[in-house]
Amino acid sequence: MTGYVIRRLAILPLTLFVVSFFTFAIARYGPGDPVTIAAGQVRDPEVLERIRHERGLDGTIFEQYQRWAVRALEGDFGESFIQRGYSVRELVVPKMIVSAQLNVLSIVFVFVIGVPLGMLAAWFQGKWIDPLIISSLLFLSAIPVLVILPPIQWLLAVRFHIIPVGGWGGLIDIYWIAGVIAVPIPNPHLYLPLIVLTVPGFSGVARLVRITALQVAREDYVRTARAKGLTETTVALRHVLPNAMLPLVTAIGLSLAGIVEGSYFTETLLGIPGIGAFTFESVRSRDYDVILATTLIVAVFFIVMNLLTDLAYARIDPRVRLGASNLS
Amino acid sequence: MTIAAPAAANSPAEAAASRGSVALFWERLRKKKLAMMSLMVIVLIYGGGILAPVIAPYSYTQQNIDQALQGPSRAHPLGTDRLGRDMLSRALYSARTTLVVSVAVLVSGSLIIGNGLGLIAGYRGGWVDNTIMRVGEVFSSLPGLPMLILVNAALSPRVDEFAKWAGRLPGGGGVVHDFASYISIFAALSLFFWVGTARYVRSLVLQLRERDFILAAQALGASTPRILVRHLLPNIAFIVVLQLSATLGSVAGTEVALTWFGVGVQPPTPSFGAMIYDGSGTRTFQAYPHLLLVPGIFVSLLLFAFALLGDAINDVIRER
Amino acid sequence: MTGQKRILAALLGTLAVFVLIIGGLSAVLLLSGGPKGGSSASGTAGGAVDTKPASGRLRLPGTDPLTLDPALATDSGSAEYIVEIFSGLMTIAPDLKIVPDLAESYQVSDDGKVFTFKLRDNAVFHDGRSVEAADVKCSFERAASRTTASPTAPVYLNDIIGANDMMAGRAQDIKGIEVVDKKTVKITIDAPKPYFIAKLTYTTAMVVDCKQAQQNPRNWMRSPNGTGPYRMTDWRVGERIVLESNPKFYLGAPKVSQVLYQFTGGSALTRFENNELDIASISVNDIDRVRDKNSALGKLYQTATDFTISYLAFNAKAAPFDDANVRRAFGLAIDRSKVTSVTFNNMISPATGILPPQLPGFTSDDKTLKFNPDAAKAALAASKYKNAAGLPPITMTEIGGGASAGLDTQAYIEQWKQVLGITVQVKQQDTASFFDDQQKGRLQMFNAGWVMDYPDPEDVLDLKFYSKSTLNDIGYSNPDVDRILEQARIERDPGKRLAQYQDVEKRLINDGAWLPLYFGGSHQVVNASVKGWFNPPMVIPRLRFVSVDR
Repeated sequence: MTGYVIRRLAILPLTLFVVSFFTFAIARYGPGDPVTIAAGQVRDPEVLERIRHERGLDGTIFEQYQRWAVRALEGDFGESFIQRGYSVRELVVPKMIVSAQLNVLSIVFVFVIGVPLGMLAAWFQGKWIDPLIISSLLFLSAIPVLVILPPIQWLLAVRFHIIPVGGWGGLIDIYWIAGVIAVPIPNPHLYLPLIVLTVPGFSGVARLVRITALQVAREDYVRTARAKGLTETTVALRHVLPNAMLPLVTAIGLSLAGIVEGSYFTETLLGIPGIGAFTFESVRSRDYDVILATTLIVAVFFIVMNLLTDLAYARIDPRVRLGASNLS
Repeated sequence: MTIAAPAAANSPAEAAASRGSVALFWERLRKKKLAMMSLMVIVLIYGGGILAPVIAPYSYTQQNIDQALQGPSRAHPLGTDRLGRDMLSRALYSARTTLVVSVAVLVSGSLIIGNGLGLIAGYRGGWVDNTIMRVGEVFSSLPGLPMLILVNAALSPRVDEFAKWAGRLPGGGGVVHDFASYISIFAALSLFFWVGTARYVRSLVLQLRERDFILAAQALGASTPRILVRHLLPNIAFIVVLQLSATLGSVAGTEVALTWFGVGVQPPTPSFGAMIYDGSGTRTFQAYPHLLLVPGIFVSLLLFAFALLGDAINDVIRER
Repeated sequence: MTGQKRILAALLGTLAVFVLIIGGLSAVLLLSGGPKGGSSASGTAGGAVDTKPASGRLRLPGTDPLTLDPALATDSGSAEYIVEIFSGLMTIAPDLKIVPDLAESYQVSDDGKVFTFKLRDNAVFHDGRSVEAADVKCSFERAASRTTASPTAPVYLNDIIGANDMMAGRAQDIKGIEVVDKKTVKITIDAPKPYFIAKLTYTTAMVVDCKQAQQNPRNWMRSPNGTGPYRMTDWRVGERIVLESNPKFYLGAPKVSQVLYQFTGGSALTRFENNELDIASISVNDIDRVRDKNSALGKLYQTATDFTISYLAFNAKAAPFDDANVRRAFGLAIDRSKVTSVTFNNMISPATGILPPQLPGFTSDDKTLKFNPDAAKAALAASKYKNAAGLPPITMTEIGGGASAGLDTQAYIEQWKQVLGITVQVKQQDTASFFDDQQKGRLQMFNAGWVMDYPDPEDVLDLKFYSKSTLNDIGYSNPDVDRILEQARIERDPGKRLAQYQDVEKRLINDGAWLPLYFGGSHQVVNASVKGWFNPPMVIPRLRFVSVDR
């Protein structure tokens, strides 16, 4: 196992190199030039050349990449082209924290609500509750974010003033009782984005749990185990559980892997200063250094989470032999 | 009706597969009311799209600027948009666009890549698995939608050429033009989005490959391709079918997102994405809710129907 | 069935464990949540800023400036903040006259080439240091230096003798700027250009603390030591900017002591109605409500024209728009007033020329091509292509991140099809690709806008249409127009000069260089306790004329 982990981690630098170079190349070879954007309406080629040199955008792509990589290894991801005077790191990290906070909360709610719901549906399979739960969940998650957001926003924020229209205020808000006692409550800015993010999530999880639970309970090896005379508990813990876990582990793993990514639509429509909207704007204005830094951070998270998920596979199902080949 | 399970070496789905399964499958599906209703909804909406040139009361470009932003009325059952165009006609043509996009998705092979690679990776293991997964990590760590914008911006001149050429082919025209541009886009998309599917399939295959029936087949000397196709594929069939319905269903949603980013059909060709864009925003919704509700309801219905259908198909396959 | 139940129960249990793990993660994040919103540091640290309505506090919506460096700003978003934090020798007053700002007075030599400015005795920086002629000189030189690489200096400072040399790296200072004594500075330009004074109002010519900029070239903009009526005390990227009044301002401390720009929070009008903002813009969705004088919002409504002109530009170097008849045909085939009155509900007005209202040289007669389908068809027939079938495929490009092309674009495309039988394709591009293609001359026809920088017709007619101008992005070249423009640059009789520009305007429109579409306008609602608020047609300092009494 340790050998496996080490081998996987050893490839990490190589993967990061490929990711960064690929992103670098796509960004630079694509149409659109941040220099022309930064220069605004000015087209004098001499001026553009000067700006290009000042921002380090001249030279061959290899020279440019080398310059960037050397600084990146020291932890300096450069400066934003568009937001002058701000280093990439101080722009990107706080936004990632905002998005991550939202994502973690929504993952918690998704699984806390989704799993029991899925169980309920599986438990009552055949009776009317099962299709009711599934259908309502499906319906809620079928509505695209862009469509569901304005009505909900209007209803909760404009019509009934329950929550603010948009914006972000952190996770905790303080509610003063009688102006004396401070009670921490979840910040009202959270409600809308959480609703929008969790509903599709827990519907998917519930369906997955339902399908998996039903499938597993019917498997041969369960009947075999029972036939062998093992107690229910042993059957449950030693045979059923591990197999039922795998798809869920994948689901959790994938959710965690995307924890530093943000949903562009939700963030833009609700005015949340997260990384989703920011990444997109950076692509639009070809803010190369920001794009690179964001991509790399996401890549690191993704790869590490994948590794953890794979390790969890192996732990749960001893039949899964990681890294072993199966040549016949 | 139970099928007597043969010796434990056979997997349940394989047994079903070898018995005139299509007919059986269809019969069982027909019994599920929700599935049938969903199918009807899909057929209605897509059918409306196909027949749009015939049944739409107005042309989708016909503007009556003086009649802009009206609610539902006798002349315009679903109201008019900001330029006085009939919402119902535009919705019908948008359904056609979604259909074009769906076919493009299938044809561009995005499903094949994900499932195929997942199968191979899970079964072969070793360095094959490792390579595929690492390459997948590279692609999926790239932020999908932003990368798509860049790739689209880079390729779009060539895509335009290709689409124009396709549009000029005999029997071509607007639809073929859109189709061609969408194929290119989805081919690019599939580069970034195959990894999730592949991982799911791989995890299943990792489990299955140790099962008795596989080991038996290997012992009997079956070649790898045969094992993959005859034994593994049927067992991951339910995931594939589920994906198929999920993908087709999500096409409507993806198209909306893509059009928001300026990728996809250009005006005046209508699409649900364009219609939703016109109607989005808190203030717009307050003032003219029908702009958002008309396309929103169509898209939601479509997605909902596909999801229900997918679930029902899955249930049928798993039944013994 | 008990077996199944237990299995399911066990599944639940184990999954609860997973959830606990995730819950733990989130608890960690919760505790390390940091300051509200946790965005980047800038200026003073601190948590929330009080946003409640108060006397002397103005709450506005806004967006992040791209930069606060006056030498680097090219967009009006950044300029809006810069003109409050910094100031220059001259400025534009609310009535659009050019008035001295840091300078107390100035004199022009007889040959019109030497400007002598006397700085105010009480002009100081935010930190109290007196503003001296040396500061003016070093600010200009900083803007022109190669290290700063200012994109605007070549256009706005190039008239000063020696500036071009410095920008090209041939000199280390600007010879045309001379420090006469501590409070007197002399600037010499290359020709007697009457609009030079107006150009000095632009941000590039503003005075900065050169030492601060030199010591901290990357970060000095976070707490700039400017000379303007306001100091910036807080800037959280993506969230807000806070400006506080400068008590040492040489024209008197502004009455509004704190201006709070809030970037997040959703629709501005909704926040206005919730009393979270004091000003909000009105969009076409709400304009009807606001025009009702009896409604609550109607009483707070303000509107004004501005110096923006939207236009369609034709690439005169590529077919089919190389033929002026084709350009005219397109212009005659569309009904702009229908679009502005219905689609945009009269929030903007059809352009009657290139020069917008309130600009010197504006005349209210309509110089543009009027909607006339028959004349349009005739013009097309008179062109070398004869009819629609003879034309190559035409694509109109516009900047668009979203789905639909602009509503007006769609309307016009339909009209071109109806009247001329020509099908125009729309292509939407993101900003980067658009500028790319525009620069390389690949666009046939595009949709754009221009905002005036200073109130002089030279700012648009010369900069955009002079054949050798670097801002001429349509490849327009007309020797007659060039000649008149060159004459107008140095014509010292204001009446004659304006007449020359009006002549140029007529020629450009008849030639179809631009198809002017609309003049822009602003529509806002203003909280009743805000007094003195106005919306100038272009970015000028205005916060110090406002007061808030609650």
